[in-house]
Amino acid sequence: MKNNGRTIRRKKEDGGLAAVLMMSPAVLMLIITSIYPFFWLFRYILYDYNGFTAYFTGLYNIKRMFTDTVFWASVGHTFEYAILKLVITLPLSLLIAVVISKNIPGSSLFRGIFFLPTVISASVYSLIFTFIYAVFRGPLNTMLQSIGLISAPIDWLGDPSWVMISIAIVAVWGGLGNYMVYFLSGLSSISSEIYESSMIDGANARQTFFRITLPMLSPMLKVILLLAITTSFKDYQSILVLTNGGPNNRSHVMFSYIYNLIFSSTSTPQIGYATVLSIMAALIIGAVTALYMVLARKLDDVV
Amino acid sequence: MRKIISIMMIMLVLVGAVYAGGSSDKSASSQSQSGKTVVNIWTNDRHDAEYLNEKIAEFNASNQDIEIKMTTVVEDYPNMLVMSYTSGNAPDLFYMNARGTGFDLKTFVDAGMLVPYPDSLLNDPDFEKVTDASKHIVEGINAINGVPYAIFSVLRSGTRMIYNMDLLEQAGITELPATLQELVDTAAAVTAAGNGNFYGIATCSSAQFERWLEGICNKSGIYHYDYKNGRFDFSGYAEPIKLAQKFFSDGSMFPGSNTQGVDAMRAQFANGTFAIWGNASQEAGVFTDQFPITEFEWAVGELPSMDGNAYGTVDSRPQKGLHMFSSCKNQDAAWEVVKYLNSEDFVKGYVEHGYALPLSEYMASVVDMSKIGRLADFASVSYEGLYPAVPSVSVAGDPYAVALWNVVVSGGDVDKVIADLNKSYNEALDRDVKIGKVKRLVIKDFNPLDPTAGTAEYLDK
Repeated sequence: MKNNGRTIRRKKEDGGLAAVLMMSPAVLMLIITSIYPFFWLFRYILYDYNGFTAYFTGLYNIKRMFTDTVFWASVGHTFEYAILKLVITLPLSLLIAVVISKNIPGSSLFRGIFFLPTVISASVYSLIFTFIYAVFRGPLNTMLQSIGLISAPIDWLGDPSWVMISIAIVAVWGGLGNYMVYFLSGLSSISSEIYESSMIDGANARQTFFRITLPMLSPMLKVILLLAITTSFKDYQSILVLTNGGPNNRSHVMFSYIYNLIFSSTSTPQIGYATVLSIMAALIIGAVTALYMVLARKLDDVV
Repeated sequence: MRKIISIMMIMLVLVGAVYAGGSSDKSASSQSQSGKTVVNIWTNDRHDAEYLNEKIAEFNASNQDIEIKMTTVVEDYPNMLVMSYTSGNAPDLFYMNARGTGFDLKTFVDAGMLVPYPDSLLNDPDFEKVTDASKHIVEGINAINGVPYAIFSVLRSGTRMIYNMDLLEQAGITELPATLQELVDTAAAVTAAGNGNFYGIATCSSAQFERWLEGICNKSGIYHYDYKNGRFDFSGYAEPIKLAQKFFSDGSMFPGSNTQGVDAMRAQFANGTFAIWGNASQEAGVFTDQFPITEFEWAVGELPSMDGNAYGTVDSRPQKGLHMFSSCKNQDAAWEVVKYLNSEDFVKGYVEHGYALPLSEYMASVVDMSKIGRLADFASVSYEGLYPAVPSVSVAGDPYAVALWNVVVSGGDVDKVIADLNKSYNEALDRDVKIGKVKRLVIKDFNPLDPTAGTAEYLDK
């Protein structure tokens, strides 16, 4: 007993109580803004809720989810979008970061230019892209036609076979600078002495990149990949502006579809059903993230 | 001890700070600094803000007891209204136009959120003269079970087709299309004459089906709800939708217009790059002020129909209906404000600014039509009116307007889409009636040319 008393007293002296009290506002905010809403969602799984009144519908929402072809197609589109975005953005931003980190003349100007889209709101630059993508005398079509790459204008946002590529281009443009900055900060943590010694050993640029830069960047790379995967699976703002899921639901991703179920201007809000889909979407993204974590750990073991 | 007290004080300050944000504006309806009763109004209209602010300033300057405060809320308006009410920060009054997007009157009334218009106001001869209130009470639109919750003062016309006469002339067309087939042919002829420089017809990225094609169907006597039997029925749409697919398959639809914003397409029309544009009376202001057309002559024509005759009503939209939240603390003052905003002087000025058409016969007689410019071209026609509100059901799958337009664009199987819509809408109706969310609306003596005349019945099964 005496011992215990001493332990408690010592903890107090360590500032345990103060720490708890200091953390409590943040924890309180977290509970109010994040944890409570999450559990709030669960209340409506079994209801048709329009914002005023909840009508009990049993398992209807869950059954409906399994037969909702538009939703499952949107899951596919989410993967399509995320893969397109990641496959282009990450290597490209790494490449740009490596080039810019060499401190060649003008690199800080380019750093600013590449970073610029990050500070512009996604809905604003998406709106600008709707003009760039215009079919009739649109700047992109006119340019491609004048250099002879295409013979007839492409309906970038209205053609089902082009729309995801067009959306991915906007996503890459918007995300490139952000990941470039992450990579730049990772690159700056690699000591220049290592590069100097590899140079003395006669390593060429390719060897330096694959044998030194990439392995030494790997802890940072893992975090960047994790961030990139989760954000690209959750992106939907620019899709809402560019196509609102069209044509014929071809560009709906999970969250644009869910958003439309709650905030659509043409039908009553279906909050209960949207809740079920949100939970499913969270599970899917959670599974993808978990899979990535496992793979990343496996890779660690190999390396 | 002192430490604990100081920590507790810090906590108190922090908790206070967290809650301060939410509690500052608790009393929406209250006294202003000058001791006047404040009546808060929300609106989602931006285009008329200048006139409203001017008239409200006039009222505030002359009235000793009441002060009007107006707030414009454009984004997500119906949801914002609900949130304001549930959080105790609701305005006293809010504007909502007939069939406002996302707004369902029955849901608001069932939740006890609205106050019906008092007899004292409805029986006021001046109020009746300006609004023709007794003639414009439409079930589900501004009334539930015949009890009015909003009275409109002005009107936006039903859809019209707007033509670039110069382009029509270049295509050798002298008469405006009266049927959908003629509209398809006209669009194709103009496109052929344009040779890639101009096109026949256009749409935009929002409300595509509703913009003009739905009006063409409605005028032809086709509607998505069978009022007589209380069922959804999309079968009638098959023929017009199949015809409308030709706008895309013929290549006479302005390329890419399906994904361009409404203002981008208005600018294209004003630029003379396509010949036919469908929209309601707000375009009068658009093509005189926003994108003035000076280079060519433009005409406003009635909507075509399947055979040129009108068998059904085309929706026109009464505007500026003031609704009162049940949380309003100073209802007498708020009704006073409603009366002012529906006064002859106010409505006359509103119409003469060209914002909308007059709704009552009396107002139509006192408005100086020479001031309203091209708005005169959109004056009401006999077959324009309002349909009683269709039960608002939770449909699995795309809303009908989206599904029908998608098949127009994609050129897909129309019959399958219509069969799917019949199934999904009626399943949703049956289910929502069963769980008590909506009631089945049946009007046994429904007349499509006079949709509000019949007797509405709400059934529980």
